[in-house]
Amino acid sequence: MNNTINLVCIIDDDLIYTFAVKKLMKMNAFSEQFLIFKNGKEALDGLTNLHKNKSTFPDLILLDINMPIMDGWQFLDACKNISLDISSPLYMTSSSIDEKDKKKSKTYDMITEYVEKPLTLDSLNKLVNQKN
Amino acid sequence: MTPNNSHQIISNEIHDDDFLNLIENSLAIGSWELDLMSNNLKWSSVTKKIHEVPQDYIPDVNTAINFYKEGINRNKITLLLNQSLESRNSFDDEFIIITPSGKEKWVRAIGYPKFENDTCIAIRGVFQDIHDKTVKANATALKEKQLRTLFNHSITGIAVLDLNGNWKKINPGICKMLGYTETEFLKSTYLQLTHPEDRLIGQKELKLMLSGDIDNFQTEKRYLHKEGFDVHCILSLTIVRDYKGIPEHFIANINNVSEIKDSKNKISELLDVSSKQNDRLLNFAHIVSHNLRSHGGNLDMLLKLKKEEYPNFTTNEYFPLIEKAVENLNETILNLNEVAIYNNYENKALEAINLSKYTDNALNSIKALSIKNHATINVKINPKTTIKGIPAYIDSILINFLTNAIKYRKPDINPIINIEAIRKDNKVILTIKDNGLGIDLDKYGDKLFGMYNMFHKHKEARGLGLFITKNQIEAIGGSVEVESTVDIGTKFSILFDYE
Repeated sequence: MNNTINLVCIIDDDLIYTFAVKKLMKMNAFSEQFLIFKNGKEALDGLTNLHKNKSTFPDLILLDINMPIMDGWQFLDACKNISLDISSPLYMTSSSIDEKDKKKSKTYDMITEYVEKPLTLDSLNKLVNQKN
Repeated sequence: MTPNNSHQIISNEIHDDDFLNLIENSLAIGSWELDLMSNNLKWSSVTKKIHEVPQDYIPDVNTAINFYKEGINRNKITLLLNQSLESRNSFDDEFIIITPSGKEKWVRAIGYPKFENDTCIAIRGVFQDIHDKTVKANATALKEKQLRTLFNHSITGIAVLDLNGNWKKINPGICKMLGYTETEFLKSTYLQLTHPEDRLIGQKELKLMLSGDIDNFQTEKRYLHKEGFDVHCILSLTIVRDYKGIPEHFIANINNVSEIKDSKNKISELLDVSSKQNDRLLNFAHIVSHNLRSHGGNLDMLLKLKKEEYPNFTTNEYFPLIEKAVENLNETILNLNEVAIYNNYENKALEAINLSKYTDNALNSIKALSIKNHATINVKINPKTTIKGIPAYIDSILINFLTNAIKYRKPDINPIINIEAIRKDNKVILTIKDNGLGIDLDKYGDKLFGMYNMFHKHKEARGLGLFITKNQIEAIGGSVEVESTVDIGTKFSILFDYE
C-alpha cells in the first residue's frame, strides 16, 4: 500500500472530528501534515493563497457540508466562480444521510465521492487507495 | 203542486221553464222550495244533479237534512232553517254534503223565508256546487299558510323589496340576524344595511334582472349588524314580475354564514399552527439526522482511537461499558434517522411498481434466511399487478414483513408464508399470512406499530421494523391492518393504490 499523502486538507467546523481524523491518519501512517480550515470561506482564502504563493497544495481534501459562514456547497460554487484550481481528490464528508445531499454531490465534478461520517479506518483506507 | 209549477219559486215574472233551466244549468245553480204548509220539499233538476240523485228522486225534509255532513254542517243548516222561519232571516252559507256515493262536496245554500200573515209558509232558495272552487281556495289558503309560517319562522332572512331597494316586507329572521326591530328595520334602506365595501356587489346583476335577462342571482356579501359588526351572508335575490313581465319587486333570501366563515378561519389558523409544528418537526428531524449523528460519530471515533493508542486504558471495567453505551447511542440515532428521513420525501413522486417483480426481489433478498429456517413461501400475485409507490419503500416494506414472518416462527414447526394480492376497485390488497407465534392483539394491538415496541424476545428484534414499515406504507398513501392469534399466526393486509 502506497500511503504517501503529503498534505491533507480538512475543511470542517467540528474540532473533535478534525482532531480524530488527524489522529486516525497519523496513527495509520497515512499522513503527517494537515491543513485545517474551520469553514468554506477560510478554506477558499487559504487555498487561493497557496496557489498565489506557489506553496504546497494539499493532495487530499475532506470537505464538510454544514459549516457556518460558508458551507461546503457554497465553497464549491465559489471555487468555480473564481476558477480556483482544485485537481486533488476532494471528498464530501457529512453526517447527513439525506439522499438529497448524496444526489447533489453527484452534480459536482470536483467531488470525487460522498463519504458518510464518521470516518473509520476502513473508509479511510478506501479513499486513500482510491486516490493512488 | 205539480212539477210544472217549480218555476214559480224562482220568479213570478219569468214563466219560461226552458229558459230557467238554461240559466240553472249554465250557472250550475239549482233551486229548492220547502212548503211549510204541506211540508213538501221540491228540488230543481240541477239541485238533484248537485246531490247526485236521479231526476225522479223525491226529497223530503229529513232526507235532505241528512245529506249535510254530520256535525257542524248539519247543525248549521238546521239552525239556519229554524232561524229563517222564526225570525224571517234569510241565509247564505257554505256546507259540505255527502253524496250517495259517499263523496264529500262543497255546496252553497241560500234560503229566503216567505211569509203570509206573519206566518212563514215556505222557505225558498238556491243551491250551488262550489266544490272545485272551494277545494282550490282551501289549497291556496294552505299554501299561503305554509308560506307565511316559513316566512315568519325561518332562520333565514327573507325580505320583499321594491324596485328602488326599499324594504316592503321583512321576516323576523332578518330582523334577528341584523339585530333590529321590525320598525327600525323598515325605516332603513337596503344599502344602508349593506357593508360599505360591498355596496357595489350585485349592481350589474340587478340591472340584468330589471332588463329581464336574468331572474335570480346569488352572491356573498356583508351586512351590518345594529351593534356595528359585520355579518357575512349569502344573498339570493329573485325578481318577481307581473303577468305582463313587468318587474314588480324583489325577494331577497339572506343566509348568515358568519359562523361558517369563523370556523373556516379557525381551521386555517389551526392549519397554520400545525404546519409550523411540522416545520419544527422537520427541523428536529434534521438535528437528529445531522447533529446527533456527528456527535455520536465523534464519540465513536475517539473511543476507537483511544483504544488503539492507549490499549492499557481499555482493560478497566469502565471502558467496555462506555464503548457499549456509545454503540447503543449510535444505533438509536441510526434508527431515529430511518424514521426522520421520511420527512425528506415530501412531494415524493410515486412510481408504478410491479408488485410481483418486487415480491420476487424481496424473496431473493431473504433467500438465505428462508432456506436456513426451511420456510415455504407461496406467492399468488398477478404478474401484471402494479401499485403506486417508492421503490425503496416497497423493497423495505416487503422485506420487513417477510423477515418478521420467518423471524417470529414457532420453534417446533417450519414456517409457511402465503402471499397474495387481490385487486379491489382502485386498490390492491396484499396479504402476508404466516403460521408463526402470533401477537396478542388485545394486549399489544395499539402498540403494534409504535416505535420501540417489541413483542418477542428475539435476538435481532429492535422494535422499529413495523413502525418504519407502517410509516412507509402511509407515506405512499396506503394503510395496513393486522389479524393475529397467538400460536396460530399473523396476517398483515396492506392496502396500496392501484396504478
